[in-house]
Parts: sequence; structure tokens; C-alpha cells
Amino acid sequence: MPTATETIVKSAKRKRHDTDSNLPVGHKTKARKTEKDVSQRPNVEEEILLLEGEITQSRKNYNKITILQDYCKKYQTRSKTSITAAIALCRVFCRLMALGSMSQSREMADNEKIIAQWLRAQCGSYTDTLLGILHGADPGMQSTALTLLMRVQKERSDNLNELFHDHGQNEGLFSRIIASVTSLNSMELIREEFVEKYVQPYDDVRYYTLACLNNLLKEEKEDALDRLDVVVSLLALLESDTAEKQSMDNFYQKKVNAKLHNVNAHKKLAQELWMNVLSRTLSRSQRKTLLNMMTTHVVPWFTRMELLMDFLTDSFNAGGSLSLAALSGLFHLMQAKNLDYPQFYTKLYSLLTSEILHSKHRSRFFRLLDTFLSSTHLPAALVASFIKRLARLALGAPPSGIVVVIPWIYNLLRNHPSCTFMVHRRPEYSDFIEGEGMDDPFDMAETDPMETRAFDSSLWEIHTLQSHYHPNVATIAKIISEQFTKQAYNLEDFLDHSYSSMLSAELSKEIKKPPVVEYEIPKKIFFSNPDPAKDDSLLVRLWDFS
Amino acid sequence: MPPSQLKRLKSSLREQGITGQQKSKKHKKQANKNGSVRDTRIQRNAALEGIREQFNPFELRAPARASKHDFVTNKPTNGKAAKGALARPGVTKGFGEENRRQTLLKEIQRRKKVGGILDRRFGENDPKMTPEEKALERFVKEKQRGSKKNTLFDLEEAGDDEELTHFGQSLSFDKTDNLDDFQEGLSSEEESNRSDSSERPSKRRRLSIDVSENVVLDRNDEQPARPKTKKEVMSEVIAKSKLHKYERQQAKEDDDDLRAELDQGLPDLLAFMRGAPHQPEGQQAKSLPNGNMNPDRAAILDGKDRAQAEKQYDERLRQMTFDKRSKPTEPTLTEEEKLEIEAQRLQDLEQQRLFRMKGEPISDDEEQGQDQAPPDGPVDLNQEEQDSFGLGPGLLGRASTRQLEVEDEDDFVLEDDLVDLDSEPELTEDSSLDHLEDEIAKEEEKEFYQGLFTGHNAGVGEINENEKREFNTPLAGKADSLAYTYNCPQSHAEFLQITRDVPVDDHPTIVQRIRALYHPKLQAGNKAKLAVFSSVLVDHISYLANNSNNTTCASIEALIRHVHSLAKMFPEEVGRAFRGHLKSLIEDRSLEPTLGDLILFTAIGTTFPTSDHFHQVVTPAMLYIAFYLGQRVPQSLNEMAKGIYLGTLCLQYQRLSQRYVPELLNYTFNAMWALTSAHPGAITGFFPLRALSDSFRLGESSNSSPRKLRISDTAPTGNGSEESKEALKLALLDSLVSFCGNMADVWTGISAFTEIFEPVATVLRHLGSKLGAAKLGNPMGAKIHDTLHQIEDLLTKARIARRPLLLHNHRPLPIKTSIPKFEESFNPDKHYDPDRDRAEMNKLKAEHKKERKGALRELRKDANFIARESLREKKEKDAQYEKKFKRLVAEIQGEEGRESKIYVREKRMRKGRK
Repeated sequence: MPTATETIVKSAKRKRHDTDSNLPVGHKTKARKTEKDVSQRPNVEEEILLLEGEITQSRKNYNKITILQDYCKKYQTRSKTSITAAIALCRVFCRLMALGSMSQSREMADNEKIIAQWLRAQCGSYTDTLLGILHGADPGMQSTALTLLMRVQKERSDNLNELFHDHGQNEGLFSRIIASVTSLNSMELIREEFVEKYVQPYDDVRYYTLACLNNLLKEEKEDALDRLDVVVSLLALLESDTAEKQSMDNFYQKKVNAKLHNVNAHKKLAQELWMNVLSRTLSRSQRKTLLNMMTTHVVPWFTRMELLMDFLTDSFNAGGSLSLAALSGLFHLMQAKNLDYPQFYTKLYSLLTSEILHSKHRSRFFRLLDTFLSSTHLPAALVASFIKRLARLALGAPPSGIVVVIPWIYNLLRNHPSCTFMVHRRPEYSDFIEGEGMDDPFDMAETDPMETRAFDSSLWEIHTLQSHYHPNVATIAKIISEQFTKQAYNLEDFLDHSYSSMLSAELSKEIKKPPVVEYEIPKKIFFSNPDPAKDDSLLVRLWDFS
Repeated sequence: MPPSQLKRLKSSLREQGITGQQKSKKHKKQANKNGSVRDTRIQRNAALEGIREQFNPFELRAPARASKHDFVTNKPTNGKAAKGALARPGVTKGFGEENRRQTLLKEIQRRKKVGGILDRRFGENDPKMTPEEKALERFVKEKQRGSKKNTLFDLEEAGDDEELTHFGQSLSFDKTDNLDDFQEGLSSEEESNRSDSSERPSKRRRLSIDVSENVVLDRNDEQPARPKTKKEVMSEVIAKSKLHKYERQQAKEDDDDLRAELDQGLPDLLAFMRGAPHQPEGQQAKSLPNGNMNPDRAAILDGKDRAQAEKQYDERLRQMTFDKRSKPTEPTLTEEEKLEIEAQRLQDLEQQRLFRMKGEPISDDEEQGQDQAPPDGPVDLNQEEQDSFGLGPGLLGRASTRQLEVEDEDDFVLEDDLVDLDSEPELTEDSSLDHLEDEIAKEEEKEFYQGLFTGHNAGVGEINENEKREFNTPLAGKADSLAYTYNCPQSHAEFLQITRDVPVDDHPTIVQRIRALYHPKLQAGNKAKLAVFSSVLVDHISYLANNSNNTTCASIEALIRHVHSLAKMFPEEVGRAFRGHLKSLIEDRSLEPTLGDLILFTAIGTTFPTSDHFHQVVTPAMLYIAFYLGQRVPQSLNEMAKGIYLGTLCLQYQRLSQRYVPELLNYTFNAMWALTSAHPGAITGFFPLRALSDSFRLGESSNSSPRKLRISDTAPTGNGSEESKEALKLALLDSLVSFCGNMADVWTGISAFTEIFEPVATVLRHLGSKLGAAKLGNPMGAKIHDTLHQIEDLLTKARIARRPLLLHNHRPLPIKTSIPKFEESFNPDKHYDPDRDRAEMNKLKAEHKKERKGALRELRKDANFIARESLREKKEKDAQYEKKFKRLVAEIQGEEGRESKIYVREKRMRKGRK
């Protein structure tokens, strides 16, 4: 994020560059241009500086503020002078505020009062201009405007007792800043800068930001979801460990309210804001983003975590990828707050759909699933259902998915030895089976994992995968039929594979031994074999190459 | 019971004549006169000393415990240990004392004395050496030091004085010559010298063993002899080897003479054999001893020195062991035998393929024979290589190589016979069907190679070293417009240059000519050139497929077969070329394979054994195909055709190994769904479905029978007419249905067959009811019906064959036992620690303890010695002082006495005067 001064320098550079690019056009034009430049620009800037100096020198020159204001207001057309003027004005106002010539008191003379009032009005219009810049100018100017606005706000709160917070009026300068920063979705850059430079480091700014956001959201109508997105994205920019701060003592202003030192006050405010966000009717994608930042950004702020329960439960019940996303938050609640979730495993079982092994959240899901099923006190029938269902799903999975499932099944079989009947079972009615064969007792359609009869089934699927086309997958599948001598496989080693990683692994190996070549050279490849004794290949039967 | 100590003392004293009768005075006087009294006294003292020693109870130390009976111990019953080692502590002590006196005492005396020069000159402190000897010794040392410096890695040098021995006897032939050689003398001398030089007076050598060694060394020092210098040794070796060489030459000449003589006699012998084939037995026997005997031996036996004869005989005998044994000649094989060998070979190849399929390691030498052609080894080409080099005999022509390479010729005869035999099936009944197929393939292979050269058979005979000239022989077909010689292209650009103006159909001809011209047997560099050319060909195949219409398939096929036969010669290069293409495919156009890529995948499938568990080229290719099938959602009919083409290849890859490819099944489902919207709810279970656009939906199908898919269908063809699109859709569906059937065929045996194909059957049923029920007699519907029927059959079979898994029929793991192992011959002194590390540790500890004890004892003894020495010194000093003191006192007293005498005398004199 470039700072204000940087951007100024940059824009200056850009200018210079522009003139440079004009150079080779011709001697005459160049001469004229430079003449113009010399005659105009420095003069304006000099004039601005001159005006600034005059204003600070004597009261008589206060009227020249209006000239500067005029310069400043022309930000649409002449950005450079406007910025210079804005900076000059900021300096002027800051000095005036520091001198106290803008503050009112009873013992002041009338004319003094009038001057102070006039100055305030000027300052108000100045900040209006700046807010205008912030709202609709190019990013470099926005950043400068933001810096200037925050500077003015600081001076005002320090010298004029004009606080950041205005108790829900939304009329104070800071509220307006926040409102304009969060007003447009496109102001991504300026938001980032704002968070990075003010909200993140200064505890009071953060507090008031949260308060303002809260007020803003309260004012918004229920269905205005744009602002919500912006707010969420702003909150997401906060570093995740902010909520764990032990003390709040880094402030932007000099004097602050005593309650700002209290960490719990911050947390309470944040919690209120989050609840405000979560209680709205959210779209699916919004829910998803919220769930994804749940454990990192939302939960730390909460002192009463049970407030989150409804939201998480609703999301989990919604099914599909949402429940997947809600899993981690829910797990956190179960762990930390002893949340009792009825039929959790049934729900979890229902998450094992045909997409799960293909989805991009596969590794995350498996990390969680591994945690959920790591208990050795789970009923064997339930574990067997999970094993069988995943084995079934592995039949249609990509190699990277199979590679996760098999060590996981191995670990479960290790932990629940009674489930090893699924890989080794002497049939009870062997005579009957000898004659009639058998069906798989497992019921794939059954939703209750205790009722699937997976325990009576066998893992034919894994046995099939032992002849998978990929040699490594086949080798991994063989661990199920080896002796279970290894304590457990570390699932992390198998989680992050994909087709491309496997392909590049295959192709990056150097050939050490010359590859074996088929000893028989086929007479025909694309065409039917003239010799009737030999069968045509499938390729020839299905495709026509002539 | 032995007599008491006292009695023994008395008796020994008496024996020595110390006690006993007093000698008479006369005897004494006489002895005195002779001066022998002193002698006797010395004698007596010596005898007394002897007795004292004898009776010292500490002179000999008996073992602490009496030796055990041999039936209670397993220690050796004889030898040093058995005797219990009668130690002589006095002697050992004496040695130690002496040693200390020479080292420690010197050190003590030198203590606090600064500077000094140690004389380390050789023999300087040796009083036994004469000055000449000393000078000689020093000279020798100096010379040796100079010569030994550069011999650290000199193998020849080391080889000179080392040789293999058995029981100390040399194993070389010229042992007798060596006997009088310098080596023996030198070795002992050198040894002594070495020990001499190593015998620097070490500071603390006090163990008695060392002392005894010193004694031995001293004895060696007494007869020093000048060792030979290196130069002398070398010259002698050279002389010797020259002599040997000369002797060998002589022997050879003798042999030649003998041979010539025998040759001269050969006509006589032949005449003899022809003339009188049946000679009487007796006569033959009579003539045997001299006739059949080696003339040398005869000469030897004629007389001469017996010993020499024996010696010569032994030598010959020994040499004979190194003679090459005669080998049985190759029998001429009958047709059946040849056939059997051929069948055996094919069986072996199949066996190896099965091994590779199961992923079992093939032993190295087997593999060597299998896939590595030894570089430039045309001498003993085995059958296999003959095949891979099958080009050879064809090239070198038939007539010209008849004498040169008979084996090649045989090969051809064999092949021709095979062709004949194939027409008579009853002869090949014993070999299995696939053998028959293999043989046919073999024959085809040969034909393929021969076909390469039919064009210019007449000319090839004249191709020899480096000769590249135009052939004048007329050629058949269109190929006559082509040139005969080409440079071997080393890059694809070069090859394109060559083939620029040539129609695609003639490319195989060009390739075959290049291969003929650069056959590895013709010139040394050809092999490398052809290797590069083989990878160029791979490039060219994909180039051709990408850049031309589909009429080129025939020539592409020929090129693929060329690549295949080159791959037999250069498996590594061809493999690398294919892998390079795969790599660029993944990097540049990961899910957009071109037609050329498809053709290359086809080529991989035929060139390499796709059934291998792991193969450097096939495995990545297969993985890519699955990647494509799994990840690519077809956007157009052409893409779907591409997918189906890859699916076909996939099925073909797995036709032997029957490995399971989930992606293919998934793709088939999705494609069928897209074409017919025949998705019956959530039946497909474990396969994720992807929504495809409606443009794939098959319209109301006509009764027309589906056409075959064309390779050109995979290329994007813009917007064809609606009709042709429908036809394509129908063709796609048709091949998908055949996929179902084929997949069911390939994966019949797998254990989850029911799980996999139940959904397939459902989908087909649904499809059948949708298409077939509406219009009976629809060829499509009929096909679906057939396939469904087939799958349902297989499903029933799979159901009957299904058993619960019994995967863990392992031997149970043994529980670790804690009962110690019983030792057959247990030795309490030995440690039987099963833990190696601990045993090692204990051993080290024990050693450390022992060493520590030894060192302590040595230190204690040193301290005692030092104390003793200092005491002795002090006593000496005291005695000296005492002596001096006494002398002084005596002197003073003497003086006093003299003075007092003088005084008394003077006193007396004065008295007397008075």
C-alpha cells in the first residue's frame, strides 16, 4: 500500500514522464510546452505556498483560505494543484487548531467568536471537499485524502474535543469517513490502506470503526446486502490475532475514554457487530465466506460463543458445501463450549457424497473427518459404515482421492479391530454361499450410519483398487491386505496430491533403465487385420481411420 | 610328603659343600698358598645365592586355583592356559626394574637440566658395531628412505614382493626358479631392517613381552647384511622377465617345429587310414605306446633324469588345468526342435511380461538379455537380439553374407519354415493359441523387415564401408522418383527439409532407406545417428498427424512400426522422445491434446508393453489419459469424440492387465447422460455427474444404423449440418454402449464388479426403454439390449462368485519371548548378550577398566621406583657426607694428636733440661 507521500511522488514522476514522452515531437512544440509549464505550474504551486505562509503569518489573510479552497475543489480537472492546496490547507487548519483559534469559549470576544465560527465553517467545507475526493477520484488522490482526513480528525479530537464517536448520529467526520470508505465495493485499495494504517495498529480507531459500522448496519435496510459484503471484507482484513490482544493501549488520539482500555469492551462491540452481520438473511456465497473465516476471524471476538450456535447449526443443516464449511466452526464449538449437536454423525455421514472426493475441500474435510472419527469409543457399526461408504466412493474417485481414503481406512481398522471383519471374514453359511453367492449387505441408500449393515459387508472395493491403473495407488491399496504392523499412517502425507502433481512427479523422474519395448510389432494398428485368425483391436473396431 | 623346608635347606647346603666337615688346617694352608681361598669364597657366595633363589617362595607363583578336571571345564586341557601359567614374578619385576632404570631414571636424572643433544645416530650407542658397519648401516638407511618415498601407490612395486601362497608355497609356475632368488634373502633381511628402524628407543616400554622382543632383535642385529637397493631389485626383475620371455619364445618355436613335422606326416596317416581301415587289434595296441604318446613324453620316458622328468610332468599338468575345455559342437537342430525353441522363447517373453505386470522384479541378468543389446557385440548375438537387429541380414543381402553370418541365414530358414508350418495346424497343436499368434506375428515382423528392402535388394549387397552411391537398379512402385541416399536427419527440421517435396505416402520409404544407409553395422557413428533419428521420427509422427488430412493414416502406421523396431534398438532414446512429448503436452496444452498427441498415445500403446505394473512411458501416458477423462468436461461433440478416443486407448492399454480405471467409467456415464439425458436419479451412486449443455442431447433418433467414428471427428469442424451432427451423436452413443460391454469384459474378474456395473446396467436399461421401446427394430436399441443382456449375465455370475474377503491369511506375528536362548556350548566367560549395542558397550567398558587398572599399577610402580631411587640417592649422599665428616674429624684428631705429642715432647724436654 503506497503511502500518501509516495503516491504524490509517483504522480509527480508520472507527470515528468509524460513531458518526457512529449520531447521528441519537435523542437518548437517542446519549447512552447516547457515555456507553458514554467509559466504556469510552478507559479501556482508557489502561489499556494505563498498563500499558506501568508495565512499563518497574520489573521488578516484568513480570507485567502477561500482561494485555497477554490484550488482544492478543482480536483476533478487539476489534480496536482488541488492536492497541493489540500495539503497546504491541512497544514493551515492543523496549525490554527493547535493555536486554539478555532475553539470557542465564553470569554472570547464576539469578533473572535465570529472568526472561529467562520474558520470552522471553512474547515467543514474543506473536509467536505476531501470526502468528495475520497469518494470519487483516482486511488492516489484517495489515499492522500484519507491521510489528510484522518489527520484533521485527529487534530479536531485533540484540540476541539470533537470525538470520533458521535453516539449513533452518523454525522461526525469519522462516521462520514467510514461511510464513504465502505460505501462502494470498488474501493478495495483504499479500504486496505485504511485498515492497514489506522484500524489495525490503533486500538481506538478500531473501536470507533466497529461502532460506526454497527451503526451503519443498523441503519441499513434488511435487504441491502452490498454494504454487508463491504463490511465483511473490511473485517476480514483485520489480522486474525487482533482479538487475542491482552491490552489495548495504542491510541491514535491523545486523550481517550477510559473504557477504551478495556479489552472486553472491544470484544463486546465486535461481537455485537458480528451478530448483526450473522443475523441477516445471507446469500449462500456470503454464508460460505463467513463460515470460511469463522474460526480465524469471527470466533476469537466472541465472549459468548453460544451465540454462534444458531448460525452454525443452520449452515450445517443446509447441506452440501455449506455444511462442509460449517464443520470446522461447529467442531470448534463442540470442543470449546461442549456443544451438544444431535445426530452429528448422521449428518456427517450424509456429507459423504459422490462429490466429496472430487471437491477441492477434500483435504480440509479429511483433516476434520479424521479428528471426528479418531475416538476409539465410537460404535463399530458406525465406523464400519463410514469405512464402507468411503470405500464405495473411492471406486469413482481420482487417484489423489483414493490415496487419502486408503491410509485413513487403515488407521480406522487399526483403531477399531472389530471392523477388520470387513477385510477378513469366514462366511457363516459357507455351503449356501458356495452355491448361491452373496449380495453386498451394505445399504448405500440408508442415511443412518448405524443401520447400514456395513459391518456385515466386505471391502471388495479396496480389493478392486489393488488393481488400479496407477501403480502407486495400487501399491497403497495393498496395505489393507498386508499384515497390520504399522501403528498408523500419517494422513498429512497423503492429503495434498492432484493429477498434475502426480503427472509431474512421474515425468520428472529420469529414465535410469531403458524402457522395456513390446517384443511383437503389430502388423496393423489403424486398419483391420487381413488375417482372419487374429482379432481386431478395440481401436480398429470402434474407429475408422481411412 | 615332601621333606620340610629346613631339611631341604640343610641337604642343599650340604650338597654345595658349604656346611659339612671342617677342612683340616693343612688343607686350608695349602689352599691359602694357592690363592684359591678367594676363589672358593666366590664359589661359595654364588652357591649361596643360588640356594637363596631356589628357596625364595616368591620366585615362582603358582596359579591361584588348582587346575580343574577336564570334565568340569571346557577350557583347553593342554596348552598354556591349561598349565595355569607358572608366573615368575621376580623375573618380570626385574625386567620392569631394568626398563625403568633405562627410561624413567634417565628422565629423572635429566630433569631440571636444560638443553642437551640427543644422539640419535644409528648405532651410535651400540658398542657391538664396528665403525665400518655403522657407516654401512647409515648409508643403507639413507638410500632406503629415498627410494620408499614414492611407493605409496606403486602397485608394481608392491606386486614384486607379494605373491599368492598356499601353506607358504608359491602358487606360480616358476617356483623353482624363485627358490634361489633374491626374494627370500631379501625378505628376512628387510624384515630385520624394518624392525631395526622401528626400534626407536621408546620411552616407556616396560612390559616383559617387549623386553623379550628386544632380546630377539638384539640377536638379529648381530649379523647384519646389506640389503639390495631398489634399483638392483628392479634390474633383477627385468632380467628375469626377459629370460622368461625368451624361454617362452623358445618353447613356441619348438611347438611350431613339432607341428610342422606332424603336418608333414598327415598325408601318410590319411593314406594309412584309408588303405587299411581294419587293422588288427594287437598290432594297434603294440604301436600305441609310441604312436599315441606325446613325443615329448616319449623323449622323457626314454631315459634322462627321472627327477627332471617328473618336474616337467607336474608343470605340464598344472598348465593343463588352464586349457580351454573342448565344447560340444552345436548340433544341427531338427525342424521340431527349432520350433520348440522358438515356442520356448515366446513363452519366456510372455512369462517376463507377466512378471512385469505383477510388478515383481526380474533378475538383472535376465533383463539384460531381454532388453539391453550389448553395445557393438555382434559376435554372439542371441536369438532375441537377432530379432531386434533383424534388419541386419536383410541389408547385407543373402548371397554375400552366406559365408560370413551363417547364423543369420539359419534364422531365415527357420522363419521360412514357420510360414510353412503355420499352414499345417496339427503340427502346432502343442503350442498354445497365443503362441501361435506370436509366431504369426513373428513371421509378420520378418516380413515387415524384408519388406523394407524389397525395393533395392539387388543393390544392398554392394553397400559397404561408408559407400553411399546411387543405386541403378530399377525399383518397383512410385518410390522410383525418390533419391536413394539421404543424410541421417539429426533434428526434425532436417527431416522436414528432406521430406518437403515428397508425398506423405513415401515417407516410410525414405525412413527405410535412411535406416538401411545408416545401419549400425556399417559404420561406427551410425548407431548414435540412428538413435537421434529415432526420436526425430517420433516428432514426425505427431507432426504428420497434426498437419495433414486423414489419408495419411497408412503412412503414420508404417512410421509407428518403424519407431517400434527402432525402439528395440534404442529403447532409451525412443522412450525419452515419447516422454518429452508428454511433458510438453502437460505443460503447454494440458487438457487440449491435439490429433498428433492422440496418435502418439496410440503409438505408445503398441510400442511399449502396457500391461507392466510400472513403465517409464506407459504409466505417465495412462495417468494423462485418466487425467483427461476425469477432468475434461467436453464442450463440443468433437471434444467428446476425443475423450472417447482416449477411452478406447485406455481400454486397449488395460486389455491384458485388466486394471481398473474409474475415470473411464465416470466419463462414460457422463457422456451417456449428456447424449440421452438418461440419468435415472441418483442411481449412479459414487460417480459425480457434471451437467452438460443440451446441445449434446440426441434428437429423435432415426432408424439408421450408427456409423463408425472417424478419427477426423476429433478435430474441431466448425458447424456441420444438423444431420451430420446427429449422425455423430449416434456414433458416439454407439461407441459408448460398446464401451460398456468392453469394460464389463475387461473387468469381469474384479471383486467389486457388482458395485461397478449395477449402475451401468441400470443406465442401459433406462436407455433401452427410452430408445428401444419406442422403436423396435432400431439397430441402436438392439445393440443396447445385447449389451445389457451381456452385463446382466456377468452380474449374475459375479454374484455367484462373490465371497467375503479373506485378505488376512497371514501367519500370526510371534509374541516376543523372554526365555533366554539355550546355548549349546555355554561358556561362562563369554557374554551372550542378544543386544548388540549393549554387548559392545560392555566390552568397551571392560577394556577401559582393564586399561585403567594397568595404568594405575604402572603409575604406582613408577612412584615406588622413584621413591626408591631418591632414597638411594639420599643414602649415597649421606654416606658421602659421613665419610667426608669422618675424614675431617680423623684429620683434625690426627693433627691434635700430633700437636699434643709435640707438646708432651717439649714438656719432657724442658723437664729434662731442668
